Amino acid sequence: MKELEFIYSVDMTYPWFPPADDRESIGIDMSNGMYNPDLGKRTLDRVVGNTVFAEQLGYDGVLIFEQHNHPLALFGNAIQGATWLAAKTDKIMVAGVGPIINAYKTPVRLAEEIALLDNFSNGRLIVGLPMGIGAQYHSLGVMNPAHARAIQREAVELLYRIWTEDGPFAWEGEYFHIPYVNVWPKTLRKPHPEVFIPAAGSRESLDMAAKFRFTYQAIAVPMPVLLRNIDTFRELCEGYGYTPEPRQITAVLSVHTAETDDLARAEIEKHTLWEKQTFFRFPFEESFPPGHVSMGSLRGMMAGGYRSSPPWKLTWDELIAGDSLVAGSPETVRQRLTEITDKMGSGRVIIADSFTQPDWLQRKSMALFAEEVMPHFRTDGKAVWQREESLLAETSAESAARSPQPAGRPVVDMPEGRVDLYTQPGEHL
Amino acid sequence: MQPDWAFYQPAEHVDVRGVDVAYRRKGSGDPVLYLHGIGMTRRWLPLYEELSRGCDLIVPEHPGFGETSPSEWIYSFEDLVLHYAELCDALDLETFHLVGHSFGGWIAAEFGAFYPERLRSLTLITPMGLRVEGQAPIDIFRLPADKLAAAVFNDRADEFADYADDGKDAVFQRYAELTAAARVGWNPRYDFKLDRRLGRITCPAVVIAADDDRVVPPAQAERYAELLPNGRLVNVSRSGNHPSGHGLVAQESGKIAHEILETIRL
Repeated sequence: MKELEFIYSVDMTYPWFPPADDRESIGIDMSNGMYNPDLGKRTLDRVVGNTVFAEQLGYDGVLIFEQHNHPLALFGNAIQGATWLAAKTDKIMVAGVGPIINAYKTPVRLAEEIALLDNFSNGRLIVGLPMGIGAQYHSLGVMNPAHARAIQREAVELLYRIWTEDGPFAWEGEYFHIPYVNVWPKTLRKPHPEVFIPAAGSRESLDMAAKFRFTYQAIAVPMPVLLRNIDTFRELCEGYGYTPEPRQITAVLSVHTAETDDLARAEIEKHTLWEKQTFFRFPFEESFPPGHVSMGSLRGMMAGGYRSSPPWKLTWDELIAGDSLVAGSPETVRQRLTEITDKMGSGRVIIADSFTQPDWLQRKSMALFAEEVMPHFRTDGKAVWQREESLLAETSAESAARSPQPAGRPVVDMPEGRVDLYTQPGEHL
Repeated sequence: MQPDWAFYQPAEHVDVRGVDVAYRRKGSGDPVLYLHGIGMTRRWLPLYEELSRGCDLIVPEHPGFGETSPSEWIYSFEDLVLHYAELCDALDLETFHLVGHSFGGWIAAEFGAFYPERLRSLTLITPMGLRVEGQAPIDIFRLPADKLAAAVFNDRADEFADYADDGKDAVFQRYAELTAAARVGWNPRYDFKLDRRLGRITCPAVVIAADDDRVVPPAQAERYAELLPNGRLVNVSRSGNHPSGHGLVAQESGKIAHEILETIRL
């Protein structure tokens, strides 16, 4: 049996704005005056509902992504969003993809947020560290695309050191000088929460994922380019002295499951095309502000890689043929997932069903997938979180039984002498 | 690659501590250092030819622009200023007349603030770089090339197609130059410290504005002229029926050359 893990993308789009016909972009300056709080809250609540439902159904994880300045997703802070979702669930992994490091003044603050959520969630956090789409570099005031990759690289190196070394230590970098790096709390998951690096194919991103053994979140690009990217990733991993596991290459696919192939298309085609026509409506200059990609990557893209043909012109048949969309009966979905993940050598899939479909339809597709597709990729039907031992003691009694060994004991100097805070009252040392 | 764009002329090269600087130089007399804006690189413009008839004109290309190599050491305008101080040392230019257009005007203003003693005069042509509330330049980092050209040439980009023509490699050349500009000028897109720094530049200074600058609002040129102790605002107006604009180095090259040469004779 081919084993696959499934992370369900729970994000929903706020789609209540006029058609994009004459608008060149919705990515930067489409007015938030069009936001309606009732509809917005319903959109956000659906994300929570999807998350709880995904856990009931047995998905391995859920995923949200961070966006700024536009309505295609409403999480301006993925860690904050993931915190809310983790609080509403018990076991499922929660991926926040993810904090854009360049939006932070210091990576230490990000390390603190990650560690706190990792602890609160009992190690259920997956953190994605994207560069952030180009359009977002216009809206935060602290990000410069021409320095962003260098800053991201330095920040990731610092995060890794925070995760793998005891503090305090001094960080003496180009963009950050921090005399005392000493983050409390430390992460629960060792050596660190799993990290996703979403990459459309830039060698810089692939290299970072390979170097730190992070997961390459393979953003959908035309399949020949995607396969080339995966080859590059494998070569880079080999260069760092190891062979990547299949789950380290995580596919991102649009998946919709219905009773029959025809029904799947009838249900989801218009939503899929809306996304392509609206979601990805960024002109070149907004997708790639200066320096956002290296000259080498830009040349690669112009030669037929990422978005070298306008996504908003794609048809249903082209999407299916291009392997970025899987829609059909459970049998079709099983077959297509097997084919595509075999091609990619990937052991995990991020399932991104339509972001605009009605709640009832989405739930049907989610449930059908869980009941009719997932079991074919799991020996015992269990999610990863059902198989893993809890990282923490789950009760006070279990905690006490584990006899945690503190680095020191808290004492207080009383008139009668030094006293241990947690032994008998007044007992002298 | 065989150059395939208009006005191409091979550059001379000088090594400035690891930066391979491309520059073009012609003429005799007083040295004039000309700092270009974004675009119109890798060529000898008609303006340069006219200027070179009255001075020793030196037109270097900024790091990451034209045929000058990018430099990882350029993080800020101050680094560009140091780079130009070193270039001038390398070319034995102790004092000189300094001219800058647009983005190059911003660099020139910063240079003058740090090395006022090296300037014999300063000419800023539709410069950017100041914080004038509500009068920011258009978003050069966001506009597609055709729309930017329309703004620069006041909707007459076709007439000046040779100036905007970067050949087959245009997409990459433009991306590289905008990246080099973004390294120092993405955010903020002004230097509010110039409000104070410009007071150090006491040489004769001319700030040239256009009839209808659609890239940098004319309030910037006016403010430069106010802040420069010996600054004078000059409007270089239309010759024909069409208003001059941000691209007036192309639109009105004769008049611009005249203004600069007049200034250096002061």
